[in-house]
Amino acid sequence: MPDLTLTQQFTMIALNAQRSLEMTNAKKVALRCMAVAVILEVYLDSGFTQDKNKLVLKKDVLNHSHSIRYRETILQPLGHTIGDLSGWLKQASLLSKRKLIEFEHAISDTLKEMSLLEEIPHILGCDLYFHSAGVEIKGYRSHIQEYTIITEHIRAEILEDGTVTDETICMLWLLRESGCMHDFFSRNELEQVSARMYRLHQANPLGKALYRIRIHRGIELAIKQFLRMKKVAVKTPVGSGLNFLFPILERSQSVFIDTEAMFSNSTKRLHDVRMRLESMGHAVKVLGDGTIPIIKIDNTVYEAIPYATYGRVPIHGVRLLPIHPS
Amino acid sequence: MSRQRSMETILASEFVSIGELVRLTESRYSTLKFYTEEGMLSFEQAEENLTRKFKRQTTVARILLIKELKSNGLSIPQIKETLEMDK
Repeated sequence: MPDLTLTQQFTMIALNAQRSLEMTNAKKVALRCMAVAVILEVYLDSGFTQDKNKLVLKKDVLNHSHSIRYRETILQPLGHTIGDLSGWLKQASLLSKRKLIEFEHAISDTLKEMSLLEEIPHILGCDLYFHSAGVEIKGYRSHIQEYTIITEHIRAEILEDGTVTDETICMLWLLRESGCMHDFFSRNELEQVSARMYRLHQANPLGKALYRIRIHRGIELAIKQFLRMKKVAVKTPVGSGLNFLFPILERSQSVFIDTEAMFSNSTKRLHDVRMRLESMGHAVKVLGDGTIPIIKIDNTVYEAIPYATYGRVPIHGVRLLPIHPS
Repeated sequence: MSRQRSMETILASEFVSIGELVRLTESRYSTLKFYTEEGMLSFEQAEENLTRKFKRQTTVARILLIKELKSNGLSIPQIKETLEMDK
């Protein structure tokens, strides 16, 4: 197992399941935070010197950044002196869309070379309407085992008593700023995490410097959170989510897979769904069967809820709803 | 500053944290926590609220044994019984 840098680790979390060819709102939020992770990585590696209340980037870091291309794409446009840590982080988060795309290619290429990231057909492409229309959508998939190790390591460090490493302190802040906390911690755990972050803010120098800084853009994060909120707004006996009522609002969160037989039993239905997903290159693992099976597709766990759409003829199938934390 | 230890350093250490055990054994944190609470993994803790430390070699071997027993279809009480006999 390779030792990954902070940026590489966060990228594996942030880019997983994002669409690779289009710039979606969620990907923009992820890329801004990944760019900021580069600054934190250099900061942890003592790449800055303190000059009064300003942080100055060491010349050798900039000169040698070409050997780590993803660092170069962020550090080159920023220059040597910006301000304190907050100033550096904010500037990195404000890079133009063109720079962010350049950075995305640089960091994803690094991970692809290590076989830790790949581009596969996006799960949305399995949806009845996209699949039957022949629309091809590509998405990123992080190496499943490595993804689990990174996320479980963060959980272990923050939920256990004892020392928290600088990398985990940064990771938690990045997860907070990218609005990803709910993906990895349950509601009860979030209370523990919040208390722990407060203690780190009080007692740890890095926590004190970092946790007061906010770089997220309200509107972008609000859109992202709204799309998630509407999912829990409606609970029905067979599932939860406004997607049941208005699936068009965010199709990526609500994939409908049609099954071949009209009134399939649950085993046959699951088999059909599995076939469709696997034919599109997804890794499928059934965690629990029954009327509403729980299936892990790549790095996300879904409920496969029996569903039907009605047009001229009813089409039976399942609707996939993600479960968080996975 | 407390930095994350490299894999090389972890593999050379006598004691590891539960987070490092996650990396070494590719197990979920909740699984290891459960094993610890069930007394299946022993640890040392200097004081309450300090990091629980596990002996690397013996703990990793034990987790791998538990995984093997689980894949053979044994239940947790049966695994615990086997581990007791193994002591």
